Amino acid sequence: MAEMWISMGPQHPMTHGLWTLKVKVDGETVVDTEPDLGYIHRGVEKICESRDFTQITTYCDRLCYASANTWSHSYIYAVEDLLDVEVPERAEYIRLIAVELQRIASHLMWLGAYGPDIGNLSIMVWCLREREMMMDLLQELGGSRMHYNFPRVGGVKRDLPHGFAQRAKAKLSLFLDRIQEYEALFDESTIFLVRTQGVGYSKPEEMVNHGVSGPNLRAGGVNYDVRRAHPYSVYSELDWEPPVERPSIKGADCYDRYRVRVEEMRVSASMVLEALEKIPRGADTYHEPGDPAIIAKAPSRAPEGTSGYHHFEDSRGESMFYIAGGGEGRGKQPYRVSIRSPMFITIPYASECMIGYKVADIPAIMGSFDPCIGETDR
Amino acid sequence: MASSDWLNLRGWIGDSVSWSMDNVHDLLPSEDVDLQATISPPPGIWPNDIVIGPIFNLKDGFAEIQPALEGFFSATLVCTVVFTTLMLTMLPIPYIERKFIGRLMDRLGATTTLRSLWVGESGVTAGEWWNQLPFGMGAPIGWLNGLLNSIWGNDHSLEAVSRVNNRSYHGYWFLLPGFFQAFADFTKFAGKEHIVPRNADKAVYEVAPVIIISTTVIVFAFIPFGPHYYISSPELSAIFMMAIFGVAPLGVFFAGWASNNKYTLIGGMRSAAQLTAYEIPLLITVLGVCVISGSFNIIEIVDFQISEGNVWNIFMMPLGAALFLVTMIAEVERIPFDMPEAEAELVEGWWTEYGGLRWGFMFMAEYMRCYAACLLFALFFLGGWEAPFQGTMESLPVIGSLFEMILSIIPGIAWMLGKAWLLFAVFVWIRASLHRVRTDQILEFGWQWLLPLSMVNLAIAISLRVFIWDDGWGIVAPLAMILLGVLGFVILLVDEDKEALESMKRPYSAHTVVKASPGSHVDSEAVS
Repeated sequence: MAEMWISMGPQHPMTHGLWTLKVKVDGETVVDTEPDLGYIHRGVEKICESRDFTQITTYCDRLCYASANTWSHSYIYAVEDLLDVEVPERAEYIRLIAVELQRIASHLMWLGAYGPDIGNLSIMVWCLREREMMMDLLQELGGSRMHYNFPRVGGVKRDLPHGFAQRAKAKLSLFLDRIQEYEALFDESTIFLVRTQGVGYSKPEEMVNHGVSGPNLRAGGVNYDVRRAHPYSVYSELDWEPPVERPSIKGADCYDRYRVRVEEMRVSASMVLEALEKIPRGADTYHEPGDPAIIAKAPSRAPEGTSGYHHFEDSRGESMFYIAGGGEGRGKQPYRVSIRSPMFITIPYASECMIGYKVADIPAIMGSFDPCIGETDR
Repeated sequence: MASSDWLNLRGWIGDSVSWSMDNVHDLLPSEDVDLQATISPPPGIWPNDIVIGPIFNLKDGFAEIQPALEGFFSATLVCTVVFTTLMLTMLPIPYIERKFIGRLMDRLGATTTLRSLWVGESGVTAGEWWNQLPFGMGAPIGWLNGLLNSIWGNDHSLEAVSRVNNRSYHGYWFLLPGFFQAFADFTKFAGKEHIVPRNADKAVYEVAPVIIISTTVIVFAFIPFGPHYYISSPELSAIFMMAIFGVAPLGVFFAGWASNNKYTLIGGMRSAAQLTAYEIPLLITVLGVCVISGSFNIIEIVDFQISEGNVWNIFMMPLGAALFLVTMIAEVERIPFDMPEAEAELVEGWWTEYGGLRWGFMFMAEYMRCYAACLLFALFFLGGWEAPFQGTMESLPVIGSLFEMILSIIPGIAWMLGKAWLLFAVFVWIRASLHRVRTDQILEFGWQWLLPLSMVNLAIAISLRVFIWDDGWGIVAPLAMILLGVLGFVILLVDEDKEALESMKRPYSAHTVVKASPGSHVDSEAVS
């Protein structure tokens, strides 16, 4: 059969968002690919220049619909670097709990979407069911189910509500049981193994050169986790190790990426449980909003010429915020906000990874990289 | 000895048609009807008299065509009744699909499939229709419902699923929430516009659904619901029916090619490519069934299992049953073998461009094929319309006659439908727990595993028939076959070398992927 271009997207089940993957196929074999991004570019960076530091948090929430908390926290850490704020330790623990719960929810969303990508719908419903538990916990913290607007400059919006630790422990232990069921459905299925093993190889050195980060990179055997390599928050006080796969000589395949994310859910769950134990003043005490124990006083203006920067382990990789403060009479607003999106870097590389495989492998490979177009297009 | 069933549909229809025809015959006048006229032209023009018009006897004339008329009317009636039965008994199929898979995803297991009959989700009862009954007659149902809710009700960890599933409630007068969804769907499809893509091959585009749907319906002409409950039963009905069953993939290929869409084209190509991989093992497996039963006729195959062989074929060839199940799932294109309509990469595969009533009918045809596959499995391997262990139960010393009496009341179609619906639940179960394989993987699986195994199955069938069969095989042969099957399974289980599996890593896909240098397929071939 002659070679032909197929335009997968902007509305296509494979895309997990709004973008186009142009695929050149020879029969069933993928010969060439060309990603086409930018359909939902909202100009978040530009919007941020005309908003107060506190207002920007909500925009950062909306960078990624599946992982809102990690993005708003990522921004908040950069602002705190800019404004030079010392955050109370209890607030850091609460933030860690919120972020790790969000990471579990995001990975569950990914796993739920990855099932239909290779033909199984059950896992989607199962994952969304468990995601519901995480959403409930996050709702207790932030008051919302999707875009929480939880962190504040200098701390968090609210303390852990009464009984949160108990409910979180119950739900997380139930969740840890149910991860085993996902593994029973996936790892013990030969069809899943033949669909993911040996498919979509990505070499670690290529990934490092492209700037791919996060679980995709750790699947390739590179032990780089921002939480571990450049510890922020209270990650260094907890007992944990980032899950790193040992891939074959050809690199990481879809199965490695799947394993890393499932293990990461376990690690995050145990991290939350440990944080609930170690949190200063105990998980059962409650402070009213605005209490110095959970939020520090922060200046609302940034002097001219200062800049803040933070890189953060997002659910999908290393997110970075660079904020230049001040400007003529604009002390309350940033002069420039620059966002580094991990998926904006990963998607072109992932599109390159699928050359040489079959058409049926396109969703399997693309889905295994966990694309989120909200943050990609910003 | 042919199996007996009091539900003698063909006999009843034949008798009543011939009775009414006899009545018509009796009503006709017995004297001749004289419509003859004689014209006497003037002798100069024509010498003789001219005779116009016949003299005939209505009664004799009717008697001549009566057999043909009886055949025509009884065939029409039988067709109508059996086809109506088919369509009505197919209604539970989408219902099972929806409910069973919903409950599997609920993680509550199979028993709760039936829960939606009495309860909505989250413990919310479906309208509490029993309270609408006069004089509190429904109160016991309410109590029962409360009890069942307390045992099997959803807990609060299932809120996401519960919220979604509550939509199956349509009002208190529907005792089976969601059962009549198929009618609503059909109404919706019937109201939609028929669109032909601009550059499609219009003739083929229109013909393809006709091929798919008509061949699917014809399949049911040869499937008996009972010993006297079928449309037609030619000598070679098994072969004939499998031949018609295999026509639909051709229509799929037509549809994919004619739609002028890249996705449908790939879907149609996949359908054509995987056709040979499962069709040949399927036919050889059916051949094994025919060999062991000594007939190509489906009714005789069932009769063999009931009376002559006195054992269901699944006990004689468990391997054949497994092969038939796998190849049939591939034949009806369900997960894990639904590559032609792989919705993840091909949007909706070969029927992407179809819409409205054509799509609805093709979807119905898809489920009819599933239903046919389930019925065929019941006929070929599960003894058709025989109750489970009927012979054994009836030969019990004391209560045997009691069983015989009870089982003679239940018509064979009840067992057929029960088995078919149960098998469809197995199909749904498989769909809920497996992923979709790739086209090259099913080709490999078909040629490397299914085909040799089906040959082995054929050899087993031949040796059983030739060497073991001698006026019946009693209990020893089926027991031995089951033991052999279990033994093989256990050996495979124990023999499984975990380390070798670890090092093997990629059972099927190791050599299917050659990574090309970016942008050029030709380069990759040169390199490898």
